[in-house]
Amino acid sequence: MIFTYLITAGLIIASLVIQGHPSFDVLRIAGVKPDLLFIIVIYFGYSFGSFYGEVTGFVGGLLHDAISNSPIGFLAFSKMALGFVVGMFGRAVFKENILTVLLLLFIASLAKGVLSLFLAFVFHQAAVSDILSIIIPEAFYNAILAPPLFFLLDRLFEHELSREGY
Amino acid sequence: MLEFLIRNRTIVCFIFFTLFCIIALSLQSTTFTMSIEGVGNMFILPFQFGYHKVQGGVHLLWAGFTELRSVRDELERTRKKLNQFETASEELSEIRRENDRLRAMLSMRPQVQFESIPARIISKDPDNWFRTIVIDRGTGDGIAVNMPVIGFNGENKAVVGKVIEVRRFVSRIQPIISGTMKLGVVFQESRYPGLLSGFTANSSLCLIDYISKSTVVKFGDLVVTSGQGGIFPAGLMVGKVAKTNLMDSNSFQRVLVQPIIDFDRIEEVYVIKKEPDKAMLELLGE
Repeated sequence: MIFTYLITAGLIIASLVIQGHPSFDVLRIAGVKPDLLFIIVIYFGYSFGSFYGEVTGFVGGLLHDAISNSPIGFLAFSKMALGFVVGMFGRAVFKENILTVLLLLFIASLAKGVLSLFLAFVFHQAAVSDILSIIIPEAFYNAILAPPLFFLLDRLFEHELSREGY
Repeated sequence: MLEFLIRNRTIVCFIFFTLFCIIALSLQSTTFTMSIEGVGNMFILPFQFGYHKVQGGVHLLWAGFTELRSVRDELERTRKKLNQFETASEELSEIRRENDRLRAMLSMRPQVQFESIPARIISKDPDNWFRTIVIDRGTGDGIAVNMPVIGFNGENKAVVGKVIEVRRFVSRIQPIISGTMKLGVVFQESRYPGLLSGFTANSSLCLIDYISKSTVVKFGDLVVTSGQGGIFPAGLMVGKVAKTNLMDSNSFQRVLVQPIIDFDRIEEVYVIKKEPDKAMLELLGE
């Protein structure tokens, strides 16, 4: 179990470091870059349930907030909430295949974007045009990257998944 | 009680995390949130530095194999340029002396030259909602909030942004393409003033709004800092006019500016050691 926690912590840190590195800007499409940490949070919610999803989302989101210019809680809340919601359905309901993962990440990213937009309206500043300029392109990008990342994470957590009965 | 909490840990944690986030968002910029940011930065920073070093090392190793020929050509070009600049430097010092003499005759204040601190970009904002840059210099190097930051694109020196947060070893820069950045500028040719800000969250363009329709703005016109606002010195290059929007329904025109700096590729910046004009900032704050 400690091995799983260590791997999770390593994945969170690696995704944040890669996402924040200047060279990652080369991967921008339509001005946005994918949210690797969010894909990982959704994977944990999907594979190991709501509790693991929300804790990973909260801790990862809090670190994301700390190194971003966002107010503390802004990115943590949406990641935590989506980790929790996706965990309620998870693998038991949606069997894993490329289409399911694509749709799951696309819808989850849209929901995360709308939640962030709402928080930005209340606590920071935002414009409705952000739906077109950030939320939709990022949802597409996350959805495209999700199947290969899910495949790699499945290999990494093979033992844990077999223990859960998948 | 404890058993109840453990049995319902998912819901309990969800409620606790939600409350934590809402309270933290309501307490923005307080000691509480600043401490969390500090702890988070302390935790991630060594990994950022490490990754930057490893990536730089691999790049150098690869460049050693692939870039020998281009380095030789570059050396030739640089030698030729150095010769040109040495000649130009002589002429420039003569012009500077003449300028000083004329300024003295006109009783104008001498222009202040500022010292600058070179810095490397170690990280950019990992999220799409914010556009900030983190550099490897902090309070220990004499950097303070609101210091202007410049960079180079080829031989062109231009504005990158301003320092908005400083810690011991790192500082955060708000670039001019950020939507929350406001920068006083003038069109170099017409000398018409304007207020520049980022265009959209994901764009690399800037916007100057509320320009009078009667102002003639041409494609490619150079935009420079006005020096008003108390942060940036006057005359620094910002960008070139990329597009103008004239609409019948609006009494003003909007101008889109392509920054000189390529924000996707910039690796090094210079922080100008210029203390902001406090009286001006207080006045603007009011």
